[in-house]
Amino acid sequence: MDIQTLTLALGDSTHAGRRFDVMPIAGDEPVLQVTVSGAEETPVYLTVTDSQILCLAYLFDEQELNPVHLNELHENMLRLSVPMPLSSLGKTGDHYVVYGALSPTSGAAEIMQELVTLAENAIDLLQTFEDYLA
Amino acid sequence: MRSILNKLLTAMRGGVNELGEAVVDGQGNRILEQELRDSEQELKQAKQELAALMAESASLARQIRSEQDNASKREQDARKAIAAGQEDLAREVAERIVGHERRAVELTQTRELLQQRIAGLKERVQRAEKQLADYRRELQVVKTNERVLRTTAQIDTNINSQKSSLNTAKETLERIRERQAREEDRQTASATLEKELTGADLDEKLKAAGIDGEQDAIDNVLARLKDSPAQ
Repeated sequence: MDIQTLTLALGDSTHAGRRFDVMPIAGDEPVLQVTVSGAEETPVYLTVTDSQILCLAYLFDEQELNPVHLNELHENMLRLSVPMPLSSLGKTGDHYVVYGALSPTSGAAEIMQELVTLAENAIDLLQTFEDYLA
Repeated sequence: MRSILNKLLTAMRGGVNELGEAVVDGQGNRILEQELRDSEQELKQAKQELAALMAESASLARQIRSEQDNASKREQDARKAIAAGQEDLAREVAERIVGHERRAVELTQTRELLQQRIAGLKERVQRAEKQLADYRRELQVVKTNERVLRTTAQIDTNINSQKSSLNTAKETLERIRERQAREEDRQTASATLEKELTGADLDEKLKAAGIDGEQDAIDNVLARLKDSPAQ
């Protein structure tokens, strides 16, 4: 599944009652910004490599957090990461992210499922961890 | 793998990865890729060698069987010669049998040595395959890391330049709450509409005013029954 095929597939499809708004992010890497209807606040970014399709949504940045409770937040994030469906929690640079990786052989339905789940999980996680914001 | 992961962590903690700068430099990547190619080459050679040795071993097995067959065939000839009183002929055949048997033993020894080399080579192939899988996994980690850093840098640059700006978590939460409130309003509105359409809202109003159609019906029946008491 390459970025072009995926852009076309997502633009025309609905999955579990959701529509997808796809926008390519300009730059050297093939990156898509996908907005899932009903979860527009947390866009999912998608990139395709040789070994995986990586989808990720931003939660918050390090400087937005209350440093006093950082350890507690990390502990909770680690614990929630395991039961979260199709998503894991992580950090890249200063960004805390929720992400999911799929096999490059995944079909459009699997990718759409991932996108919907990830966008909804991002909202749930933001609301869950709201108290840790500075 | 552990050394690669440690390198990545050290670089990340040091903030080297800001702006998507590669953590393990291109040089390190090239070394890994070279190691991968060397490993692949070694594996290919070992497999070719293994195939050749196995073919040779199969050929030796055929030769051994043929010598053994010939020996047992000649044994029958020798018995017939002895039975016919042809002692000299029997001796000549016996010499042949000795020749076949000697060759069979020699070939078997050669083949045993070959089998040992095959076993050693198979082990080498397995080791090379494991090594190759390790290198591939390491390279995948390094490359994925680079890709994630470049991708997030690209997203940040784009969003910042668009001035839709990367929202703060608080702003995002505010927008989520607004949408959730809108959805709730919509649900309430559609529930109200539903009631209006089915007349359920009117029933509720009547009930609130003490006018209950169901209760009236029951009272009516009771009154009727009281008017015509049992005989």
